[in-house]
Amino acid sequence: MSELTFHDVSVHFGTSRHRLIAVDHVNLTVGSAGILGLVGESGSGKSTLARAAVGLAPITTGTITLGGKPVPMKGKNRPLAMIFQDPSASLDPRMSVGDSIWEAGRGAHGGEDKQSTITHLLSLVHLDPKHAKSYPGQLSGGQRQRVAIARALAGKPQVIIADEITSSLDVSSQGAILNLVRELVDELALTMLFISHNLAVVRYVSTRFAVMYSGRIVEEGETSAIIDTPSHEYTRQLLAAIPGGSS
Amino acid sequence: MATPIKRAFRTPLAFAALVMISIVALLAIFGPIIWGAQASEVNISNMLAPPSWEHWAGTDALGRDLFTRVLVATRLTVLLTLEATAIGVSGGILFGCGPFLLGPRFGKAVTWFIGIAVAFPGLLLALFFAIIFGAGASSAALALGLASAPSFARLCQTLVAGILARDYVGAAQISGSGRFRILIRHILPNIGEPLIVNATIGAGSVLLSFAGLSFLGLGVQAPAYDWGRLLMECLRSIYVHPIASVTPGVAVVLAGLAFNLTGESLAHALGITSLGDLGLRAKIRSLRHDPSITLDTDEPTQDAIVCVRDLHVGFPAGLDIVEPVRGVSFDIFAGEAVGLVGESGCGKSLTALAVAQLLEEPAQVWAHSLIFHGTELLDCGNDNKETTKARNHLLGTSMAMIFQDPMTSLNPTRRVGEQLAELGRVHGGLNHRQARLRAIERLGAVRITNPERRARQYPYEFSGGMRQRAMIGVGVMLTPKLIIADEPTTALDVIVQEQILDLLGAIRREDGAALLLISHDVSVVREVCSRILVMYAGRIIEELPSADLDQARHPYTRLLVAAVPNMTTDITQPLPTIPGRPPEPGPIVGCSFSPRCPLADDRCRSTDPDLITNGNTRVACWHAGQPLVQIAEVVE
Ligand SMILES: Nc1ncnc2c1ncn2[C@@H]1O[C@H](COP(=O)(O)OP(=O)(O)O)[C@@H](O)[C@H]1O
Ligand code: SF4
Ligand SMILES: [Mg+2]
Repeated sequence: MSELTFHDVSVHFGTSRHRLIAVDHVNLTVGSAGILGLVGESGSGKSTLARAAVGLAPITTGTITLGGKPVPMKGKNRPLAMIFQDPSASLDPRMSVGDSIWEAGRGAHGGEDKQSTITHLLSLVHLDPKHAKSYPGQLSGGQRQRVAIARALAGKPQVIIADEITSSLDVSSQGAILNLVRELVDELALTMLFISHNLAVVRYVSTRFAVMYSGRIVEEGETSAIIDTPSHEYTRQLLAAIPGGSS
Repeated sequence: MATPIKRAFRTPLAFAALVMISIVALLAIFGPIIWGAQASEVNISNMLAPPSWEHWAGTDALGRDLFTRVLVATRLTVLLTLEATAIGVSGGILFGCGPFLLGPRFGKAVTWFIGIAVAFPGLLLALFFAIIFGAGASSAALALGLASAPSFARLCQTLVAGILARDYVGAAQISGSGRFRILIRHILPNIGEPLIVNATIGAGSVLLSFAGLSFLGLGVQAPAYDWGRLLMECLRSIYVHPIASVTPGVAVVLAGLAFNLTGESLAHALGITSLGDLGLRAKIRSLRHDPSITLDTDEPTQDAIVCVRDLHVGFPAGLDIVEPVRGVSFDIFAGEAVGLVGESGCGKSLTALAVAQLLEEPAQVWAHSLIFHGTELLDCGNDNKETTKARNHLLGTSMAMIFQDPMTSLNPTRRVGEQLAELGRVHGGLNHRQARLRAIERLGAVRITNPERRARQYPYEFSGGMRQRAMIGVGVMLTPKLIIADEPTTALDVIVQEQILDLLGAIRREDGAALLLISHDVSVVREVCSRILVMYAGRIIEELPSADLDQARHPYTRLLVAAVPNMTTDITQPLPTIPGRPPEPGPIVGCSFSPRCPLADDRCRSTDPDLITNGNTRVACWHAGQPLVQIAEVVE
């Protein structure tokens, strides 16, 4: 059971006088072994919600549970992993690809051999194992994002949160990363919250999605149903704005 | 690491720094071994002698040769400098990383303490410590070290804060790494480079200060001697023979400069902002006309707003030049919107920057012809001040450049309205009132609501999309003839992206400006532009009307179009991808796309196809228009 649930979660920033409500009483369930898409404009609170789930943003009210139990926010071997938007900022430029991956999996691998673990993870994301010795600067954007995915998988997480993971990539690498995401979720029976501002991308990876607008979830349901009959005004705007879309 | 450092010492100033620092190092190592005995040879009969062939800088009060004494003193001076710097840097690291390790509460106290310590003048602090610890070489080193620690602590703190904002620290936290582990594994390795650079620069000032302390008698004590002490001893005879007293002073200045310049050059090469930038960069003034280029495309088109013929951009790489842009030709007509697409690294930005004359050393730009608004921008060798000035005026008023990051053209410390108005005054010949009104009017034109109020705000008070609009506002302040927009919407979400693209379209219609829109995403460009140039590995490989994009003839263009999912993409199939990545700039045999092309054959791999014009299209491919039989699944 690895259903991720946000119960009435709010995140506030700033002082009591200048309060910014980034996430406003969100209730959301990411079903077990599958992808839930989350769309919304920049600044709508998507990333804050994601960061709250992994303990990088402070939760003001509410709880986040995994399979009914509160998500641990401290300690090693955590069940949640995250993939970030810009792989050139999310990989340590001074650490080799292999070390980055191995380091992230410290809590999860028992007596396994370092070399074979790294080779296995790199092959999962279709990277040549020889890249274990490369540094991020020697790889293309798409390759770097594959490394970041391998690193997320290293801790054997039940849930992965993917925050705009193709937004900083060329369209030519975006397709390959989307294919990989679908393949991995199927193969490893992962639960994934897939955040993007691009509806066409979300439509391609997930059969359900939620729409976030100024800190709240304003719409949630089957992808095809929302696209056919959007109920919120913002969702309609989103649909109209897709380049080369069906508007 | 090796490459930027090698690159660092290619400029003349940096090379001089390298030579100077090497001499200082050699003297420090071998000086005392070679001249040690000679320097302490007392000769009572030849006291305070003036400079001569035997004694270049004369002799001191005991008849010892001053010049050899200066050479020998290099070792002690440099050792003490390094010692003091090491103390300063270690203290700096300790205090600078403290706030992170101690957590927010204690961290604040440390930060507060550093803030106070930094405010004290360093030399005063050093004098204070020197008096507490008493005179002597090691106590002077300790004093100077402690005195320089606060500024290193401040630097560390800033660097650490920068690293903490990085997502890889977040990723490490998620995977359960503790603070100490994050410090050792992620923070220290990443602040090392800027720290070393600034320590090198700092060593220069420590050397000067140390000379000062020794000169005052608080540093090195007789019979040992460093440059500062020599300076003190020589000063007694300054009226007798000034050259003698100047020699140790010159040594101090040269060695200090050596450390400083070495640090600055490293900083420059590594792209680090050092504490004081010397500004080693030089602007390219104009483009070079290359008469040796024989043109195989048509002659320049006269009525185009921009006419580029065989444009090259190169960078020195060792003895060679690599060419990320290898002969690009195109026209843009008045009021037309042209798209330039291709993956990153294909040379799109360099092409745009070359046209806008914004490339800096060491970039080199040459072309057969580059005409903007009827004026040849190339320097054909007969340039004078007047033509250069006229050209800059033309570029300043008639060409606007919009970047992905609005903060590249907005000054964060000045109100948005003022920034626009200044352009109007300086380039547009408007008076204060007119400029202000025009600025407000333009902010309105880029759909910023309540422009009067917004004009008085600072860029940080704007949202991302609004800043992008403000930058476009800067661009259209003077009714440009051409707007170049380089990935203007890549960082924005789809709705804001759509608004910005609409805005660019509207400005084009209202003001009649031409637009060159650069993007890696074909679907963005085709919405706005009527004609599309596709670039790969530094060349244009296809040109076509955007209405024909779905019938593109070059395999690369077709793959680019297919790679973008839209609302009708078949979600049961994997997305088509382009395996591999664009080649690094360098020698290429055959078609540059052949390693990634599903249609590549032996001819493609050996012979580069020419760009063939056919009506209003151009394409460079041996198999243009043939169906892509297999679209290979990617394994990078
Ligand atoms: N200052 C530089 N020194 C050396 N090479 C550079 C420099 N700037 C860009 N390049 C190289 O030129 C190529 C094209 O760069 P660019 O014009 O930025 O491509 P694009 O805009 O299509 O992404 C890249 O391979 C890049 O590495
Ligand atoms: S010339 Fe050959 S390798 Fe190059 S794009 Fe055409 S078919 Fe592909
Ligand atoms: Mg670019």
